[in-house]
Amino acid sequence: MATETTIKAEPGTRNIVLTRIIGAPRDQVYEAWTQPEHVTRWWDPAGKPLASCVIDLRPGGAFEFVNDRPEGGESFAGVYRELRPPERIVFSSNGLIGTVVFIEDGTQTRLEVSIECKSEAERDQLLKIGVAVGTARTLDNLAGYALLDPRQLSKALGAR
Amino acid sequence: MLDENDPRRFVQAIDLYIAKWQYRQMAVHTSSTDRLNRAFSALADPTRRAILTQLIAGESSVSDLARPFRLAQPTISKHLKVLEDAGLVVRRRDAQRRPRQLVSARLREIAEWIEPFRRQWEARFSNLDNYVATMSKGERGKRHGDRNNNKS
Repeated sequence: MATETTIKAEPGTRNIVLTRIIGAPRDQVYEAWTQPEHVTRWWDPAGKPLASCVIDLRPGGAFEFVNDRPEGGESFAGVYRELRPPERIVFSSNGLIGTVVFIEDGTQTRLEVSIECKSEAERDQLLKIGVAVGTARTLDNLAGYALLDPRQLSKALGAR
Repeated sequence: MLDENDPRRFVQAIDLYIAKWQYRQMAVHTSSTDRLNRAFSALADPTRRAILTQLIAGESSVSDLARPFRLAQPTISKHLKVLEDAGLVVRRRDAQRRPRQLVSARLREIAEWIEPFRRQWEARFSNLDNYVATMSKGERGKRHGDRNNNKS
């Protein structure tokens, strides 16, 4: 079943939260996030296996996922801060804190990835943007024009 | 590896550039994003979003805009001022009238700022969703006991 990834930010928090239903039990989804032979198969949005994938699976352990690109790989690297199988992963990367939460939803898993800023200045900036994005998603006014979908927006703007 | 003159190479380079730019925007906000921040702040208000929705249908006078909201004209004018400061709306001179017009490019710019970020994660999650389906058929046994043996 195809579901859509939603992106939102609640007022009063410092997170951007991405949510998606994954069609497998959560221990399996947790494993897909934590074992390099699995991560390498799905991490790259382009769908290519990673050029390299290193995971030192323990609090304080480092990870690095390198996309396979002709001009040299884009890498996503950081350090695990908390690992609670099969519920939760917390990591730091590039000054941001990432939290991955796996929630049982029948035979499926509700996956929540939140990105949280570290410093107060960064948080305020992110919050400002985040709130607007979050409310824009849920509201009725611009919903028909899908503020977050440029194709639909272009169509709406072009139609006048 | 693509040839240096292959247009796809150019597209790849642009994609990479955009991805890097977005990541920097997420991590470190600089003054260059002030304009965008102003626009997002302006959009955080439901009345202002409703005004924009009205203007998508075409330019409109302040009194025409005020009518459906049952708000006083000065209140609408205040909202319009915020939208103008954010570069989302301009006023056009037309004899005695000063109809407001949507700056569609600005709205598109905002939509395009966040959508690639969401789309990138959608692609990733979609990969994961497809991949775990193959795991449950072929690799499920590995979860019980010998998970460390698959690493080479």
